Amino acid sequence: MSSRDAVVYKTPLSRIWTIFTVIFIAFYLLWTLLPLVIMTFSSFKDLLAAFQLPPVGAFSEIGLFFNFTPTTKHYYNLFVNLGFTTYFLNSIIAAGGSAIISVVLGSMCAYALSRYEFRGKSDLFFWIISTRMAPVVAVLVPLYAIFRGMDLIGTQAGLILAFTTFNLPFAIWILKGFFDNVPYAIEEASMVDGSTRFQAFRAILPLVAPGIGAFVILCILFAWNDFLFASIIGSGGAKTLPPATVELVQPQNIQWGSIMAAGVITTLPMMLLGLLIRRYLVTGLTMGAVRE
Amino acid sequence: MVPTGSGSARPTTHNGEHYVDGARVIEYLPSSLNALPSSRYYLWLMAPALILLAAITLYPFFWLIWMSLQNVGAGPETEFVGFKNYIRLWADDKFWTGWVLLFKYSFFCLLFEITIGVFLAVVLNGHRFENILITIFLMPMMMAPAIAGLVWYYLFNSTFGWYHWLFQSLGILGETSIIGSTETAMAGIVIVDIWQWTPLITLITLAGMKRVPRDQLEANMVDGASAVRNFISITLPNIYPFLLIAIMLRFMDNFRFIDVIMRLTGGGPAEVTKVLPVYLFDVSFVFFKLGRGSAIALTLLIVTIIFGKLLVKVFENPASKRIDQGN
Amino acid sequence: MALVTITNVWKYYGKTVAVKDLNITCKDGEFVSVLGPSGCGKSSTLRMLAGLEHISAGDIRFGDTRVNDLEPKDRDIAMVFENYALYPHKTVYENMANPLRLRNESEDTIKKRIAFAAEMLEIEYLLQRKPMELSGGQKQRTAIGRAIVREPKLFLFDEPIAHLDAKLRARMRGELKIMQRRLGTTMIYVTHDQLEAMSMADRIAVMNNGVLQQFGTPQEIYNHPVNEWVAGFVGEPPMNFIDCDLIEEGGGFYAVHSAFKVAVPADQAAKLRGALKSSGVRMGIRPDQMAISLGQEGAAKGSIKITEPLGGDTLVDVDLKGAHHVLVKTDADFRGQMNNSCSLNFDTSRWHFFSKETGVAYF
Repeated sequence: MSSRDAVVYKTPLSRIWTIFTVIFIAFYLLWTLLPLVIMTFSSFKDLLAAFQLPPVGAFSEIGLFFNFTPTTKHYYNLFVNLGFTTYFLNSIIAAGGSAIISVVLGSMCAYALSRYEFRGKSDLFFWIISTRMAPVVAVLVPLYAIFRGMDLIGTQAGLILAFTTFNLPFAIWILKGFFDNVPYAIEEASMVDGSTRFQAFRAILPLVAPGIGAFVILCILFAWNDFLFASIIGSGGAKTLPPATVELVQPQNIQWGSIMAAGVITTLPMMLLGLLIRRYLVTGLTMGAVRE
Repeated sequence: MVPTGSGSARPTTHNGEHYVDGARVIEYLPSSLNALPSSRYYLWLMAPALILLAAITLYPFFWLIWMSLQNVGAGPETEFVGFKNYIRLWADDKFWTGWVLLFKYSFFCLLFEITIGVFLAVVLNGHRFENILITIFLMPMMMAPAIAGLVWYYLFNSTFGWYHWLFQSLGILGETSIIGSTETAMAGIVIVDIWQWTPLITLITLAGMKRVPRDQLEANMVDGASAVRNFISITLPNIYPFLLIAIMLRFMDNFRFIDVIMRLTGGGPAEVTKVLPVYLFDVSFVFFKLGRGSAIALTLLIVTIIFGKLLVKVFENPASKRIDQGN
Repeated sequence: MALVTITNVWKYYGKTVAVKDLNITCKDGEFVSVLGPSGCGKSSTLRMLAGLEHISAGDIRFGDTRVNDLEPKDRDIAMVFENYALYPHKTVYENMANPLRLRNESEDTIKKRIAFAAEMLEIEYLLQRKPMELSGGQKQRTAIGRAIVREPKLFLFDEPIAHLDAKLRARMRGELKIMQRRLGTTMIYVTHDQLEAMSMADRIAVMNNGVLQQFGTPQEIYNHPVNEWVAGFVGEPPMNFIDCDLIEEGGGFYAVHSAFKVAVPADQAAKLRGALKSSGVRMGIRPDQMAISLGQEGAAKGSIKITEPLGGDTLVDVDLKGAHHVLVKTDADFRGQMNNSCSLNFDTSRWHFFSKETGVAYF
């Protein structure tokens, strides 16, 4: 129920406002979409066309942007010659692996935290949430050194572990909120009915399943989009799409077409996922503080 | 011992039976207690996650402390130097500039993001196409910051960047790219942050606006308030906790993510965008001075922890709960 | 065969005590109500009986078996929760079937028992609906149905009708009593509504602040409350309390007040011996145990503050000299108006005297 549902009287002022809002929205749409559009179009332009600009101030020649013959050679190049199939797979493995570990371990822990009272609980929370907020760069320093010593650099396992540093506390935190919303009485009823504690837990799983599903996807989103961990710890064998894309930027003769194509490949799946979990985005991105 | 209502007189107290307000009370304690139930079940559930978390967070934390007291030389050996790294930091200009730039960066990002974000929320709230529009506006948030940095680098480029062409055509800029000049580089990285994260502010604000109690608005209207008045005196105070969360989250995120800055400027030109985490990256992974890097990392973490404590206070009283309880 | 024995039971939540030294025994097939205001420990007691809370001290026995360490599923009980606790994603049928499925009963048994319960509770037409589609009363019947099909030795009901509207509650009181008689299962029923407890239970355990105040039949609790608190808690409208002095005069006892001086019957006087030494007593009398008349001929003189015609009766709020808000229940055709002078006559066979210091009843 929005505040706009309240009765609105049309005054001259409100007409001006309506016109203004239309202009503002149009503007903001342009502002939001333009970089994405340029990226996509550029991924289909060959090198010469990509660098074509009208002369300064010649607004009438903006159409130059659309003047090109589309080519898919950059995409082809990426997958066939530059190994992007591997990178794509690496992204899936690292993001998926970290999401699964985080959600499985995290949901068990979150459930216990939700149902069990003990001293020091809020201190535990604080520790958990601070691990989620730590600057990636700061965590990177020790992790790099430690993983190097354990030969985990450049391995899938190492990268999955690194991603888990922020996905696991995230999972615990958010999922605990979910379990808090399921009344304990349902599990109690189940136990009185004759189930064991674990069976009672299974009885409420259908109630939290959609939320858990959404957060698996959110974990994947965060891990997929990560650059620092992936480039420093995942370099070599476990390289994912973001660092791979960045590496396409060579000092001379930058292949912008391929870079834009790589950008599209990295971004498109995440946009689709974002559409899927639209409902849970606010909760996920605000660590549960805001519930839609 | 317990009276069963047979009607016999009992005007005195005996055996610890006291009365308060006409009702029987018990002041004594139980003679013995039953053994407590084992909580093994819950502990087993929590253990795997907590052990893993401790391994990948606590251990590195202590490693950082230890390492910050070392000097990392050319070879693999490290030499214990006590607080020397910290003393050097104190005198290090780039360290302090790093903090200043970090706060400056966060401030400008937040200033624009809140203004534009809240305004967008006001415009969209109750709009016919609200859902579709907000879904489109969310798309920049789905993009990896590193990729966003690359795309905007492409856009800002002084030779072939369309946005640079636009700036030039409008007379805002000369030949140098926005990220190529020391005066405008900060503006460049702020623009990208605004592009990516303003929708988050809008989303949060919308969530808050939808929870504003209708009756407060209606009562105010009956009292004669205009829409603007309504917004200022009713809506704003109600969404204030949401905005607070948004501000704190974005502030913390600016500490965490340097992907965009690395792509756009790398901290330059002439280090005008070298916010502290970028400096940390340089020290640790470019110059490999892990000892000093650890010291810097620790200071960053400590500030994070302080803000974290603040954030937890806000989280334990979620904005939605507070608004439902009438703030 | 369930004889429930609660012996010296305490319940601690951390450092807070919810139940203190509780002792109750329930006979087989009995309907026992645990009555008290919020926070008195009644729900904690029920949950300890169910096995959902740890028993901090003391024992609970079902028959001869000590159940302290038994899980809920091993206690052969069925519970109805205050907020019904139905499984939201299962139909009414599946909700009721759940306890039986957990025990691997045959489909046949399940169908039969659900049919029996559904018929008794008149919810046959709801069997395929989900809880979301049910009204409060229907959800409550489903919850009761889930308890019935278990055919347990003990029913534990936690304020099951608290969230229904008044009319439905009144109807359910009768229906629950009939149901329990028909099934013959021992029932422990927690409520804060004394009307529920009085109308349904064989015996009532009245609790306050974790302490059992009195355990007896509704008649005993109503007519012979053991202390002032119980007397004031049970009965609607509540009992009036008037402080007065006790004097011995001419071989008899008199209750003396600025508004009245009434003789105490001889058989009661014996119990009041010890009260002579104290600084007065508290007299308790229920609104329907007094007669009111206009004018000043009765024993206690005062004036009418306000009258509340209730249709079948009239409640009169009377100001006696020195005692305010004395409630009197009288016939509907009472003619008194505000500020009329009036007088009351006490039914001295039904009144009570309590100690002013402790509140313990003399009788």
